[in-house]
Amino acid sequence: MQNITRIYALSKRNIILRYKNSLIGFFWGFFKPLLYLLIFIVIFKHNSGIPNYILFVTSGLVLWFFFSNVTGQSVGSIVGSVGLLKSLNIPSYFFPLSETIGELFNLLLTLLVFFVIMFWFGMDYNLKLLLIFPCIFLFAVFALGLNLFLSSVNVFFRDISIIWNTIQPALFFMTPIGYAESSIDPKYKFFINCNPIYYFIKLGRSILYDPVAPTWQQWSNCLIIASGMYIIGHFVFSRLKNQFISAI
Amino acid sequence: MNSDIIIKLENVHVSFWQNNVGVYSLKDLITQRKSPFKTKTIINDISFEVKRGESLGIVGRNGSGKSTLLRTIAGIIKPKSGTVTVNGTFAPILAIGAGLEQELTGYENITLLLSLYGIQRKNTNAVANIREFSELSDEVLRMPVKQYSSGMVARLAFSISLANDSDILIIDEVLAVGDQGFQVKCVDKIKQIKNQGKTILFVSHFPDGVRDICDNAILLEQGEITHRGLAKDICEQYKMLF
Repeated sequence: MQNITRIYALSKRNIILRYKNSLIGFFWGFFKPLLYLLIFIVIFKHNSGIPNYILFVTSGLVLWFFFSNVTGQSVGSIVGSVGLLKSLNIPSYFFPLSETIGELFNLLLTLLVFFVIMFWFGMDYNLKLLLIFPCIFLFAVFALGLNLFLSSVNVFFRDISIIWNTIQPALFFMTPIGYAESSIDPKYKFFINCNPIYYFIKLGRSILYDPVAPTWQQWSNCLIIASGMYIIGHFVFSRLKNQFISAI
Repeated sequence: MNSDIIIKLENVHVSFWQNNVGVYSLKDLITQRKSPFKTKTIINDISFEVKRGESLGIVGRNGSGKSTLLRTIAGIIKPKSGTVTVNGTFAPILAIGAGLEQELTGYENITLLLSLYGIQRKNTNAVANIREFSELSDEVLRMPVKQYSSGMVARLAFSISLANDSDILIIDEVLAVGDQGFQVKCVDKIKQIKNQGKTILFVSHFPDGVRDICDNAILLEQGEITHRGLAKDICEQYKMLF
């Protein structure tokens, strides 16, 4: 119970800190996806051949920006919490965990706005949409695993955060968010299949955009990827955590 | 274990990974082909006991392992070998304001640390006590901590660590930056806490402070206890180091 209070307090701190010095606060979070959406509409919409293109792109963007924000914030979460780590006996995984929870809160608010606005862009409101919650849960577990990995290795090699910020745009364009999967040359399809984020975006899009519900195959792929990433992240984190204080 | 003994360390070793010179990034790791870390022993085979109600001073040069020893006792650092047994609760170690979030205001820091420490946020009494003891005005507490002077940070940090009604109070060099009035107030408060029968671990570079507050003391040199005994004797030993 005490741990729940602590995680809550840390998550709240992250949300406060994130928008502390910005003028329009929370709404800043909508601006970035909106900008990307406009770029996609200008460049790709007319020859994408995708019906209901705006809903298609937005459903991908919402999930992508959750992922991008949460990893971008968490990578420095251990290094940035050095003061607390050195003063209090609290488990160090609370820091990437609370970053993830803070960002989940943000995602829920974003989804709320998304559900309202997409009314004008042909969203089909039905019970299937509720499946987005287990989908987000799996995606969050995946992101948490990656966060555990990134934040702990970043303590020892600070260039991890720089490398990660460099890889992110490449990953973004390797994920079919603004273009149709079918537009990729089958020769290079392999690279897309290696991209773990692709599976989560696809699952989310099946729920939010496609008329038919996602297959069991899709769910099990995501479940395997999420738990695999979590196990790797947890393993690396537990190997390194005892040396955090000396290395920061 | 005897219930009179609140802290017991047995053959505790703590070692850190230290960056090998020049390996700070992945690029260095690849180009230099060196192992990135070497192990450095910080605490070397330390055993001691602290009785309930005792106040123990820890003195030593910079880098002799005092803060590491405190953090090991508080469970923040895990020892490589040996056992640390503690029969009580700790207040947070707020060494000169570490642990305060620079961007948050004084009030936000208070609620954050209190809830991290398991005090209910609704406990407005605790907040009032902190404000009263720190003598910081309402206006100051609404400012982000990054705008505080070092003395104000020390006041806030020390007041927060006192707010917790814990069995063991760990004081790591907090008295160094406050002004005269606050220092006197802190020493009085520490003595008052001591008289309540609480255990105090006190790290300081000022032998007079240690002699004033502590019954016993230990002198650390390069991670080992070289002298232990009554606070006033150890303070003499400490002065002879320089």
